[in-house]
Amino acid sequence: MEATRELYWNVGHHAVWPMYTLFCFAFFIALYGFYQRTRIYRQGRELTRTDRVPERIRLFLTHLFLQVRVLRVAGPGVFHAFFFWSFGVLFIGTLLVMAQADFTQPVLRSVFLVGSFYKVFSLVLDLAGAMAVVMLGGLFIRRFIFRPEGLETKRDDYLAHALLFAILLTGFFVEGLRMAATEIRTNPGLTPFSPVGLLFGRLFLGLDAEALAAGHKALWWVHFMLAMGLIAALPSTKLRHIFLTSANYFFTDLAPKGAIQTIDIENNESGQFGAAAVGDLSWKDIFDADACTSCKRCQDRCPAYATGKPLSPMKVVKQIGELAFAKAQSGLIDAIGRDTLWSCTTCRACQEICPANIEHVPKIIEMRRNLSLMEGAFPGDEVRIASENIEINGNPFGLAFAGRGDWAAGLPVKIMEQDSAVDVLYFAGCYASFDKRNRAIAQGFVKICHAAGLHVGILGKEEKCCGEPVRKLGNEYLYQTTAAQNVELIRQYDVKKIVTTCPHCFNTLSRDYRDLGLTAEVEHAATFVNSLIKAGRIALKHDPFAFTLHDSCYLGRYRDILAEPREVLHRAGGKLTEMKRSGYESFCCGAGGGRILAEEKTGTRINVERVRMARETGAPVLVSCCPFCLAMFEDGIKTGGYEGAVKALDLTEIVAARIGA
Amino acid sequence: MKILVCVKQVADLESRFKPNSKGVWYDETDLAFRMNEYDEYAVEQAVLLKEQLGNAPDLTVLSLGPDRAVEVIKKALAMGCDRGVHIKDNESWQKDPWQIASAIAEFSRDKQFDAIFFGMQSQDRGSAQVGALVAEVLDLPCVTTVVGFAYSDGVISAKRELEGGLKCGVKLKTPAVVTCQLGLNKPRYPTLPNIMKAKKKELLAFPAADFVKNDALSAVAAFSSPEKKGNCLILEGETNTTADRLVAILKEKTGVVR
Repeated sequence: MEATRELYWNVGHHAVWPMYTLFCFAFFIALYGFYQRTRIYRQGRELTRTDRVPERIRLFLTHLFLQVRVLRVAGPGVFHAFFFWSFGVLFIGTLLVMAQADFTQPVLRSVFLVGSFYKVFSLVLDLAGAMAVVMLGGLFIRRFIFRPEGLETKRDDYLAHALLFAILLTGFFVEGLRMAATEIRTNPGLTPFSPVGLLFGRLFLGLDAEALAAGHKALWWVHFMLAMGLIAALPSTKLRHIFLTSANYFFTDLAPKGAIQTIDIENNESGQFGAAAVGDLSWKDIFDADACTSCKRCQDRCPAYATGKPLSPMKVVKQIGELAFAKAQSGLIDAIGRDTLWSCTTCRACQEICPANIEHVPKIIEMRRNLSLMEGAFPGDEVRIASENIEINGNPFGLAFAGRGDWAAGLPVKIMEQDSAVDVLYFAGCYASFDKRNRAIAQGFVKICHAAGLHVGILGKEEKCCGEPVRKLGNEYLYQTTAAQNVELIRQYDVKKIVTTCPHCFNTLSRDYRDLGLTAEVEHAATFVNSLIKAGRIALKHDPFAFTLHDSCYLGRYRDILAEPREVLHRAGGKLTEMKRSGYESFCCGAGGGRILAEEKTGTRINVERVRMARETGAPVLVSCCPFCLAMFEDGIKTGGYEGAVKALDLTEIVAARIGA
Repeated sequence: MKILVCVKQVADLESRFKPNSKGVWYDETDLAFRMNEYDEYAVEQAVLLKEQLGNAPDLTVLSLGPDRAVEVIKKALAMGCDRGVHIKDNESWQKDPWQIASAIAEFSRDKQFDAIFFGMQSQDRGSAQVGALVAEVLDLPCVTTVVGFAYSDGVISAKRELEGGLKCGVKLKTPAVVTCQLGLNKPRYPTLPNIMKAKKKELLAFPAADFVKNDALSAVAAFSSPEKKGNCLILEGETNTTADRLVAILKEKTGVVR
């Protein structure tokens, strides 16, 4: 017998009329639901996310079909991805049935679901169904039996699980009933191509033909109505993420990672800065909230959340959505909470992991901008003092600006003001310039450059804070005024290459300053030193040591510089034991987002937690490539009681110590 | 109501001070400048008073100083003053408190200010005389070292700081002069819209000669860094005995323990 089956068996081809009517009905309910939601998104201000279409399409396709972001968390990610793929196969199968039954067969008088192709079609769909059930089961067990901490289960979750299980199981029952009535009796050669259907079919072999037909017909319609229910329920339930999360891949921010909009201060007609209401955010920010699936991956990785601060990036995103749907004209900041907003270290762990491509950090910065620029608010008085110190002396410590270059006394360094003929300009930054412990980084860097035969220049007392901490705290005005002075100065010296030892300076100079007219090439010491070693410009004494490496947020997550520090330390004789949280999953030291200027008043201390993680590895040395991190770890070692057990060092110090006198 | 607040630009105290060539004041090289801290309290109090009265009062900020002093006037405008007055004097460091006070009094004489606010002293010279002298010249009631301020129906109720942690209440009818002390209020951080608005506010500049009519009554004879005589005493021994010794030292040398 031929390998095929009668489409619409027992249901009858006349079913197409009610079927397509109901489908259109469900489709329009869904369409109308999504349309209603677009009106909510439109409350946000304009933002272009439809340029560079080919690039966006590529992102959309790869992220959707390969489930790239979803798979970054193993357990639930794998379940989700396989469920997605198997359900996708079932969807394609349904389309093929539709194509033959309602188009090629009646119109073109041709069929393709026959022979070998039918066998493959049958087997693939049967196995995809089984796979979908198993994967959904895995997700179900995780959510309802294991109940991971922080995972909120709401009406939508019950509904989605129930609906999907019901669709899959009714599908198998319909298949089983059909096979019991047909294939198993009349064409048993086909049954191996529906192994799961066969299991269901065997259940019904005791029933007579009439009962099979009646049961089949009833369940077929139940299955169909459930599927239509799924379509209709898309916009109003969490299932909307099928479209919204996918669309969010298309709407990816294509600017360099971590770039934030430079406000045009002079030409601001409205006199309004930052976000105080949902309408001050962009449509994308509201869309993000709607695309969020509450998977809490961001919350799991948030250093503020992990140490008892009031911030959960997921909740911030959700609250924006709630206010948007309530059409609230104000009250955004109070709804989310000032302390919540000030708690963020802008470490970007949330954004890095988000499977829905949500941009958490820019939202927080927009709200901070409102707090700072419209209210003159700070997380605490100590931050206000530090900010005023930057205003007056160009550094947060309030130390005399004239002493900024003192660390370089007696070192082979040129002060640009006196001699600007240099190979590289070293932008030392506030911490390496003024902080006693951190000066070793600056001095080490100069030693390395000198060994490589490079002429290093510094701005000395002319250098000012790069402005990064205050910018991340929302004080765009202070950032721009301070930055403009640095930019003008550097341009005036016609510098070709700048190196920093601070990832915060590095990001600010190499990316943020572009908007202010700086064009010189900027590199961080980790990659710069790595190139020097590779090129044989410096030779390191072999002096073995064991260490663990802290990936600084603004080097790793923000700039993808993960391999280079490891390479340098390996060549310096280091034996690395990784912390559980490393690379893109690194746990912030607590100093980002301007928090370096603030006291940590609630919860436990982030820096102590990170030192504890380092201690867990058993490595005696905790290496970082950032003066902020080093300052935080020195403090964390003392306050956490890890003195003698862990020693904090900067990569630059380690390399400098291995260079001959 | 018309209010005047007087501010001075001073060198940031963290700066490295070196005597100037004449050895009678500090050299300005490598110094950072800012608004005198006590004057920030004065500006804040003046703005609070203006706000209390429904923003009706006209609030002028005045500074006598070199060209760079315009920065502190701008800051006061951003904090909420309506108009800036800059009495330009590149030799202001040589003026004594009497000359400065006379100049401010000369400026104020025909303006009918109801309240004039000063910081209680400047961070650099620290004479604490200018506010009180202006009151004297204009024959106005004056309260100094104010840590509490209230205004109602033409009467200022101030709380002023006395020695030894005591405070006293003073009531005075306007027009009056008030000099402000740390603890009076928390100066606001200017918001960006106010910084932008401040750029469009009226800023009048006058040459010093218009108002400085008197000769100095005092002059700085010499300016030098204090001799380095750091002293550190380390108490060693049993906790009980070291504690007793510490208490004895604190009693003898400070007012912390009585």
